[in-house]
Amino acid sequence: MATVVPTALELPDQLQVVGAAEELPEQVTLWQDAWRRLKRNRLAVIGLVIIGVFLTTALVSFVWTPYPTWRQALGPTYQGPTLIHPLGLDDYGRDILSRVMGGAAIALSVGVGASMLASAIGIILGLLAGFYRGKIDVLISLLINISYGVPDLLIALILVVLIGRGIQNIILAISITAWLGMARLVRGQTLALREREFVEAARSIGTKNRKILTRHILPNALGPIVVQATYLVPAAIIFEAFLSLLGLGVPPPAPSWGAMASEGYKAIQIAPHIVLMPCLALSLTVLAFNWVGDGLRDAIDPRMRR
Amino acid sequence: MSRGTLVYAVQRLLLITFTALVVSSIVFIGVHQLPGNALASERRLNPATEQALLHHYNLDLPWPQQYLLWLEGLAHGNLGESLVNMGTQITPLLLREVKVSVTLGLAAVFVTIFIGMSLGVLAAIRQNTWVDYAASTAAVIGYSVPSFVWAFLLILLTVTGLYAWTGGTIYEDIGWGKIEQIPVPALALGLPYAAIVARLTRASMLETIRQDYVRTAWAKGLSARVVILRHALRNALIPVATILGPLVTGIITGSVVIEFLFGIPGLGQEFVTSILSRDYNIVIGVFTFYAALIGLANLTVDLLYPVLDPRIRY
Repeated sequence: MATVVPTALELPDQLQVVGAAEELPEQVTLWQDAWRRLKRNRLAVIGLVIIGVFLTTALVSFVWTPYPTWRQALGPTYQGPTLIHPLGLDDYGRDILSRVMGGAAIALSVGVGASMLASAIGIILGLLAGFYRGKIDVLISLLINISYGVPDLLIALILVVLIGRGIQNIILAISITAWLGMARLVRGQTLALREREFVEAARSIGTKNRKILTRHILPNALGPIVVQATYLVPAAIIFEAFLSLLGLGVPPPAPSWGAMASEGYKAIQIAPHIVLMPCLALSLTVLAFNWVGDGLRDAIDPRMRR
Repeated sequence: MSRGTLVYAVQRLLLITFTALVVSSIVFIGVHQLPGNALASERRLNPATEQALLHHYNLDLPWPQQYLLWLEGLAHGNLGESLVNMGTQITPLLLREVKVSVTLGLAAVFVTIFIGMSLGVLAAIRQNTWVDYAASTAAVIGYSVPSFVWAFLLILLTVTGLYAWTGGTIYEDIGWGKIEQIPVPALALGLPYAAIVARLTRASMLETIRQDYVRTAWAKGLSARVVILRHALRNALIPVATILGPLVTGIITGSVVIEFLFGIPGLGQEFVTSILSRDYNIVIGVFTFYAALIGLANLTVDLLYPVLDPRIRY
C-alpha cells in the first residue's frame, strides 16, 4: 500500500543525475503523475466540478442569496417550485434555494473542517504511535480497539448535548471519533516505512527523529492520507446531517441540510420538495467527494501505474 | 467447534465484557462530572423533595461511591432506574428494545448481503457490459445516498405513492409491530451498505472466476449456476466477509436515525429520547447495551470466517 516510489525528490541532487535519469524518460514527481491520471478519470473530474459548484455556491451565500435564508412568508407556505422560487418554499414560507445555498456553506465547513481537524490529530498521533511504539502506541491502539465497540454517533450526540450545538462544537464532536481511523492508517504506514532502507540511511547519517518523521516518513505516507482525508469529508457531512435530523445539529434557523430535511419530513406527504431538495444537494455533494476519493485512490496507488 | 475456536471465543467474550465496562464507566464518570444535578433542570422541586429524590437515586453520595454501587448493580444485571419516569426499571426496558433493534438490524443485514451480492455477482459475470456499468453506477450512487435519504424516498414511494396509485386500497403505514412494516426501514438502512458489498463482491468475483479451478469446473461441463454459485462465489465470499464487522457497526449506528424517523421503539430511538430529556441513567444503559451488541455481532462475524475459509483457524 505504501506509495514509496524512489522519486527524484527523495534523493540528494548529485544522485539524481546518476540514478533515475535513464529509466525514466521524463522526470515526473508522484504528485504530477497522480494529477495527470486523475484528470483522465472522467468521474473524478465530474466530481471536482460538482464540488467546485457547491464551493462557489457556499462562498456566494455568504454575501448574497436570492432571498434571506430566514425570511418567512405567511401566504405561500409549502409552495412547490415556481419561477421566482425555483426550488419552492418551505413550511415557514422560506425560499428553499436560498437555504440550500446556505446549507452548502454549513455542510462544506463542517465536512472540510472535521476532515482537517481529524486528519491533523490522526496524523500526529499515528506517526508517534507507529514510530516510537511503546506506551503511546499501546494507549492509542487501546483507544482504537475500544472505539470499535461504540457507535461514534452516540459519542457525538452526548458531546453535543454537553458542549452545545455551535458549528465549531459539531466539528469537534465529529472529529473526536473520526481521527481514530486516520491514526490507524498512519500508524500502519509508519510501522512499515520505519523499517525501510531510506529511513535507516537517514538515521545512519544522524538525522534527528523529528526530521525523519516529517521529511522521510510523512511524505511517503501522504498518498493514502490524502485519500482518507478526502473520504472523511463526505462522512462528516453525512454525520452532521444525522445530528441535525435528530435535532442536535447546527441550531435553527441556520439552514443545515439535515435540519431542512428534518423539518420537511413532517410535511413529506403534502410537500415532498421540502425534504427532497436538501437531500438532493447532500447526496450530490457526497457523491462528488466519493468520486474524487475513488479517483485519487486509483491515481495515487502505484500498483495502478501504467 | 474446535478447542482453539472455543478458547478464542471465550477470550473475545472477556474482551467484550471489558470493553462494555470501560465504555459505560467512561460515560458514567463523564456524566457525573457535569455541574448541577440530574434533576435540577427538569422540574422545580422544593428542597425536601429534591433531597429525597437525590437520595432515592443515590445521587447524594460522592461519585466514586455511586460508581461502586452502579457496578454492583451491573454485576446483577441491574442498570438502575429512569431519572425521568420514576419507577421504570432500565434493564427490562432496554431488553425489550434491544429485541426490536436486533430484528431490524438482522433484516437490514439480510437486505445488504442479498442485494449487494446479487448485484456484485451479476456485474462480475457480465464484466464490461451494460449490466456491469449499470450495477457499478448503482453501487457508487447507493453508498453516496445516506440511509435517511433512502428512508425519505421509500416513504414517498410506499406511503404516499402506494396510497395515491391504488386509490387508498393498499397503503403502508410507518411504525412498528406488523411484519409488513419491517422491509421499508430495513431497506433504507441496508441499501448504502449493499452498495459497498456489491463493489467488493464484484472485485473478488472478478479475481476468482479467472482461477484455474473455475476453468476446470467449466471444462467439466457443469452448469453456469453451479460454477458461479458453488465454485466461484464460495471463494469470492472470503474478502467480502472481512467488511461484515464494520458493516454491522455501521448498520447499528444508522439504526439510531432510522428508528427515529420511522418511530421504531428500539434502542436508538430510546437513546435519542433519553439524551434529549437528560435521562442519564438510560443513556449509560444504552451505551452498555450497544457495546455488548457490537461486540457480540463482531464475534459472530469472526466465528463465521473459519466456516467460509477452512484455512483460517483460531
